[in-house]
Formats: sequence, structure tokens, C-alpha cells
Amino acid sequence: MSKTIDIHVHHITRVEGHGNIVLRASDGRIEKLEWQVPEAPRFFEAMVRGRSFEDIQTIVSRICGICSVTHSFSCIKAIEDAMGIVVSEQTDKIRMLLHYSEQLESHSLHVGYLVAPDLLGQKSVVPLVKSHPDVVKTVIKLHRTGNQWMEAIGGRMTHPVTIKPGGFASLPTEQYLRELKKTLEGIVPDLKALAEVVLSLAPKLPAFDRDTEYVALVDPTHYSFYHGGIGSTDTKDLTPVRKFESVVNEYVTAQSTAKWCKWHRDAFAVGSLARFNLNADLLLPLAAATAKKLGLKKGCCNPYMNNVAQVVESVQVVEHSLQIIDELLTKGIQPEVPKVQPREGEGAGAVEAPRGILFHRYAFDKKGHCIRANCCIPTNQNHANIQKDFEALVPQIIGRPQEEIRLLLEMLVRAYDPCISCSTHYLDVKFV
Amino acid sequence: MSAAIIVIGLGNPLMADEGVGVRLVERLAAQSGRFPGVKFLDAGTSGMVALHAMRGLRKAVFVDCALMGEAPGAIRRFTPDQAASLKKLPGLSLHEGDLFGILELSKQLGECPPEVVIFGIQPSNLEPAPGLSDTLTARLPEYEAAVRAEISCTSSP
Repeated sequence: MSKTIDIHVHHITRVEGHGNIVLRASDGRIEKLEWQVPEAPRFFEAMVRGRSFEDIQTIVSRICGICSVTHSFSCIKAIEDAMGIVVSEQTDKIRMLLHYSEQLESHSLHVGYLVAPDLLGQKSVVPLVKSHPDVVKTVIKLHRTGNQWMEAIGGRMTHPVTIKPGGFASLPTEQYLRELKKTLEGIVPDLKALAEVVLSLAPKLPAFDRDTEYVALVDPTHYSFYHGGIGSTDTKDLTPVRKFESVVNEYVTAQSTAKWCKWHRDAFAVGSLARFNLNADLLLPLAAATAKKLGLKKGCCNPYMNNVAQVVESVQVVEHSLQIIDELLTKGIQPEVPKVQPREGEGAGAVEAPRGILFHRYAFDKKGHCIRANCCIPTNQNHANIQKDFEALVPQIIGRPQEEIRLLLEMLVRAYDPCISCSTHYLDVKFV
Repeated sequence: MSAAIIVIGLGNPLMADEGVGVRLVERLAAQSGRFPGVKFLDAGTSGMVALHAMRGLRKAVFVDCALMGEAPGAIRRFTPDQAASLKKLPGLSLHEGDLFGILELSKQLGECPPEVVIFGIQPSNLEPAPGLSDTLTARLPEYEAAVRAEISCTSSP
């Protein structure tokens, strides 16, 4: 009996944006297999042209509601690079603290709200409230902690307003840092509980390995989210952020309106697993122990394990934040007022978004008005890799029932934690 | 005085009328002294922020751009039980802004304010642009008055 498979998943659910999965096969022969991203072109880069360097962060933070801190920092670092601004050690540390709040928030959101329903056989997190209340409560507590932490340092729950070129518009108080320390110490048991949940569900993650090039920021001093050069598992050399275009090599493809990327091979991956594969030796003790417990080892090339790496990183950012808070409190918070004299120039900035490395580049005229902008988001860097994963995975699972294949492909896309179209949010309703 | 009511503006002000909720909340927040016990929140495109921000409060008022089949610029007040989402999202999509999913999650968690009101505003333009369309801009005072009336009638403790 002939068997036809026809999968066409529009607007894949539980992913922040739009993406289509297309698979057509007949009697085990694959006729069409595509990861399509029919994203409308966006014009944020054009929107910042002509704007003062002081206004750009506010604008680009709106590109994404989940990565708003990351967009802000890539932008601010690029501005500082262009204008020759070197920030204080205090600013650097407080920025890391704020950046970590976004990592915790996003990772807990992704693992708890998007991945757990797949592994627990539910369509969303809502039914999990009844079927697995402890899991949901843990995840919400972690997400809420990240959210309040971001508000305290960034000045808002999302789209931060305290970040300025050269420093901060307002600084956290030492009293707040002491409270944050207590809060973060208090969620360590919750992180361990989340790791236990993932450990219990890990056997449900598909066993699928594909040799992959991983790309992430690398800094010799610590597991990096904010500093360093561009590293790859295919080379020992680091590439300066200023040369990021030579890393991402953006190109267009007929199956997507989003740009795709490649470096040493025909695709590469960014995100938690990439960072882990390049920085695992620098994990702090509790994070390293969590990785060991979860069976995550350097060199892992199972994309579904990206979600496990997110749990390890959630521990890492909390552990490192506790260290940073101690360092800040030892020296005391010093009042600082950023003063920037605009100048002509061009600069690039990169930090790690929860879902991978994010690059911004700007050029300014003498008055500090933007004359050129470029932004390369992590999800675009992953598109080609998702396609390559599809091409390797589907022949292995083509004999399975169509619904199972569909779910495995959806789970694969979700594993990358993509953020495909963050630009709109409107309601679409009918009245009943 | 701690807030008992929250007004939450959702949307992206870089996408023209998509950002009407944010713009409206900005205007109202500038007059927050007139509304004791009311908190104003620009939640941008992070819908999940709303889950935490409205937890345990008496009332949540959302202002969002909404495709409702009305004329551009029209405003409608409704409660969650009076409308159904047409978005094809069987799961909870965190970023596409399934407000109904967030409200359902909040309810399941036992955190949802007993009173939830949504003001939907039909867009005229959803293309990338940093400002509202002329149609919506002209009607901002009307939108503001509608939300002000909503919170004024319930802001007294």
C-alpha cells in the first residue's frame, strides 16, 4: 500500500512569530521538505537613520519584546564602539546583571511554557496548570523573578529605559542589590527543581545528532553572554565583532523572505547549545554540576538538547549574578553620570540573546546622527541550520505516522527557540 | 497607595497603529496623579509581562490594537467572555500576543483580577512606521476619554 505524507504547518504554534514547515513525501521518497519563513521585511534599520545616537536604543529595544535588553546592549555597544567610549567596570557589571535577568526570563519561559507542553503531551502551558501544577508554579516563579529583576535595573518590565551610551541613567542601590542577592539565593532550589523536571523528561527528547558548526561569543575569562570575540567550533581563532559580516555571510533564498547565514559550512547554529559547546569549560560549579546531571556534554550536536543547555545556562546566570553582586557590594555603588561627546564614526556591537548571538552596526555623522544601520538577529543565523537538520532528520523518521513526524519537526523548530517576527501583537477577534 | 487597578497598553509603536495601546497608556500615565490606586503599564510586545503585572489586582484594563471587522479608528469595549480570538493558535503563543491565552493562564493560576476589560481599537495602518495613522491620531482624545471613564468609575477604593 502506498503511503503519502503531506505536512504543511502554517504559523507554527508556540514559537514567537511565523514559520512554515512543508513536507511532502510518497512511499518514503521526499518530494519537498522546507523550513519557510514568510516574514514581511521590516524596516527598523531605516527607522533609526537620521536619529540621534541618544534615541536609537529606545527604538531598537522595540524590535523584540523578549530580547529587548539584548537589542539594547548590542546597540549601545555599537554606539560606544563608534564613538570610542569605554565604560567603567561598575557599568560593565551592572549591564551583565541586567542582561542575565533577560536570559533567566527567556529561558524559563521557553523551557516551561513552550517545550514542557511538548514533552508532557499538552498543546500549551494552560492545561499543565491542572496536570502538572508544581512544574508551572516553578516556571512562573523563575519567569517572574527575571521580570522583576529586569524592571528594577532596567527601569521597566520590558523595553528598558535606564541603559544609556556610556553608562546608566539610574543605578541600582546597594540595598536593592542585597535584596536581589537574597532573591536569587532563594530561587536556587527552584532551578534545581526545574533541572529535575527536565531530567525526568529528557528521555522523551529525540535522539538525533548531526555534526554542526556552532557559533557564539567567547571570552577567555568567563562563560560569555556579553563580552569577547566571535568563536566557532570549526576554528580556534576568534573573529572581532567588528568583522561580523564576514561571519554571518547573509544571503537570500527562495524559500524564505528572512535572510539566511553560513560561515565555514553551509549552515551554523547559535543559541544555548552553541554557547555551551564553546564555553562549557568556564561554567561555574553549580551550572557545571547541572550539566553533568542532565548528561549534557561539550560537543553535543543534538539540536533538541538546546533546551537542556537553556536550563544549565539559567543556573549559570544566577550563579554568576551572585558573584557580581558580591563584587559590586564590596566596592560599593559609585555615582556615575554618563557624558558622551558625539563624533563621526562607525562601530559594531554584539551580545548573546537567549536564542543566540545578535549583531548591530551603526555609522554616525559628526553630530551623532545615524547615517547607516545593520542588524543581524540570531534566528536568521539559525534558519539554514534548521533546514539542514530537517534534511538529516526526515529520512530517519519517514516511516513513522504523519502526526508523529509533524510533531518531531515542530519540536525541532521550537528547540531553537526562534523569534521570527516580533513586530506585531494585535488582537484578531470576533464577538460572541 | 498600592494599585488596585492596572491599565495595560500592548503593542509595538514602531508598527504604526499596532502601538496605539502603548501610545494611549503613555498619555494616561502622564496624568497618573489624577488616578490614585491606578497603575499604568506599557507592556510593549511582551504579553507575558501582563501576567505578572495584573496578578492579584481588582481590575485590569487592556488597550490594544484589534482586528474586529469595524471601520478604521473604531473603539470597542468588551470583556474576555464577549469575544473569541480568531488567531489560529491552539497553544499559547507568547509573542504573537495571545492575550486571551494569557488571561486564561492567569485564571487557571487563580491570579486573574475579577474584572477584566479590553478596549480594542481597529487599526488603519499596520505597516512599519514610528507614528499612528492620521485616523487614529485624530481620535486619541476620544480613546483617552473612554479609558479615563472606565477607571474613574472604579478607581475609588
